[in-house]
Amino acid sequence: MIQAEQLVKWFGPTRAVGGLSFSIAKGQVVGFLGPNGAGKSTTLRMLTGYLPPTSGSASIAGHNVLTDSESARASIGYLPESTPLYPEMRVEEYLDYRGKLLSMPRADRVRRISEVCDRCSLSHIRRRLIGQLSKGNRQRVGLAQALIHEPAVLFLDEPTAGLDPNQIKHFRELLGELREKHTILLSSHILPEIEKTADRVLILKEGELVADGTTDELCAKVHGGPRVLLDIEADAQAVQAALGSVQGVREVQTTPHDGWCHAEVAPTGNDALQDKLVQALAHKSMTVREANHRKPNLEDYYLQLFSEPNPAKARATA
Amino acid sequence: MLHVPTIAKRELTSLFYSPVAYVVLGLFGFGTALLFLGGFGPGAPAEMRNLQWSVLWLMVPLVPAISMRLISEEYRSGTIEPLMTLPISDTQVVIGKWLGAMGFLLTLMIPIALMVLVLSINSDPDLGPILVGMLGLLMVGGLYLAIGTFASSTTQSQIIAFLVTTAVVLAFSPLAVMLARAGWVADKDWLKHALFYINVFGQFEDFSKGIIDLGRVVFFISGTGLFLFFATLTLQSRRWR
Repeated sequence: MIQAEQLVKWFGPTRAVGGLSFSIAKGQVVGFLGPNGAGKSTTLRMLTGYLPPTSGSASIAGHNVLTDSESARASIGYLPESTPLYPEMRVEEYLDYRGKLLSMPRADRVRRISEVCDRCSLSHIRRRLIGQLSKGNRQRVGLAQALIHEPAVLFLDEPTAGLDPNQIKHFRELLGELREKHTILLSSHILPEIEKTADRVLILKEGELVADGTTDELCAKVHGGPRVLLDIEADAQAVQAALGSVQGVREVQTTPHDGWCHAEVAPTGNDALQDKLVQALAHKSMTVREANHRKPNLEDYYLQLFSEPNPAKARATA
Repeated sequence: MLHVPTIAKRELTSLFYSPVAYVVLGLFGFGTALLFLGGFGPGAPAEMRNLQWSVLWLMVPLVPAISMRLISEEYRSGTIEPLMTLPISDTQVVIGKWLGAMGFLLTLMIPIALMVLVLSINSDPDLGPILVGMLGLLMVGGLYLAIGTFASSTTQSQIIAFLVTTAVVLAFSPLAVMLARAGWVADKDWLKHALFYINVFGQFEDFSKGIIDLGRVVFFISGTGLFLFFATLTLQSRRWR
């Protein structure tokens, strides 16, 4: 549905995106991650036909974004970063304007405006001026305008920026409904958000793709794998000795605090070890307050990725 | 060209939401009314030539104030991005915006139309030259707005767009005439002719006499088209940068 081949974008002497290739199948929800300035927005702008790539090509639903631009643009819905809207227009007026420019017949517009207003919880503020809306509501108007023509592909640039936790939850539910009909590429800084919603994650670093895979695949790459966290009433040395002797334990890290000891245990395999560990401690009559098995999450992977030197650059200099 | 009216309508509506529109309307209405009153009385000729010439001057600072926000504001607020990612061509956007501003220019002319009405109630003016003069004013306004649309497409600052437009508009009239009389131009015939040709006030003269000269009409329409084309190019140039 979305195809990018060797996309490169230079702004004067600065390279924003360097040789980006990926393809996204129909119906996938893909999270687009990376630090500020990694080239996420630039990539989205190239895919939506707003900026042409310096070299490389992209196509949406089979239409090349440069040579067949208008057909490509007709099949996308786009929510740009910071949701630019006309403050002097009313919500339904704006949606109608967008619908007209997308060549939707009148009857379709009327029907779709009601539908997207329902969907994005805008029905009660349809007649309000956009300029008077809160950030969260403006964001929903931005989403509503992207959905108005039921586009095959949705590009959402930081759709949850500025929303409160409740609104983020609603947005997540909405995304769950949308995934049935649309192929979605969304960028975000909120990693747990992406972890919950995306089928697949692309991570950009300095304009290059450094990771591509499902959340599980990426989390499996985290060094050290899963951990068991324990809180024990004993001194650190005793804890080290007790836990270190358990079979399957690779490493134990302890941090004493207020007479208790916090231990982080790395198992050799992926097995859940907490039962064995707690038994071992009970054997030594140590009180255990807490024992948690923690799987690595996307955030661990992300932080690991960005604490290492760029693998592509490392290869280049080697 | 299907979407031009949609864009024009939105542009016109949003113009009426900006305070600038009312300042321009107020100044223009007040200015023309004063000028009209000045030449209105027993024994005065029942015509509007003097008024139209003064309106021509009033348009120099006021028309750029209408056009300054057309595209600059879209750049500044970022709304250019959702607009240009719609399946519509840049040309349609530019023409739509210019047409919306033309709609506002027509609104500006309403007070003058009322004055024509007052004049015809109180005396028996020759309507031909008056109407042709109004057409001429619209042609001049259209050209100024096209220059303004172009200036607006080059910057996200409305003030810069306003100043550049006013400067270009001035260059097209008083400056061109003054330059044409300058010593170092006098012996270069082609330059003198060129400067007289681009003099908007000179091109307007026939209209104010009630003459529709095809050459003059072509001048205004091609000038308007040229600047709208420049504006489209500027809008597209983000794709080359």
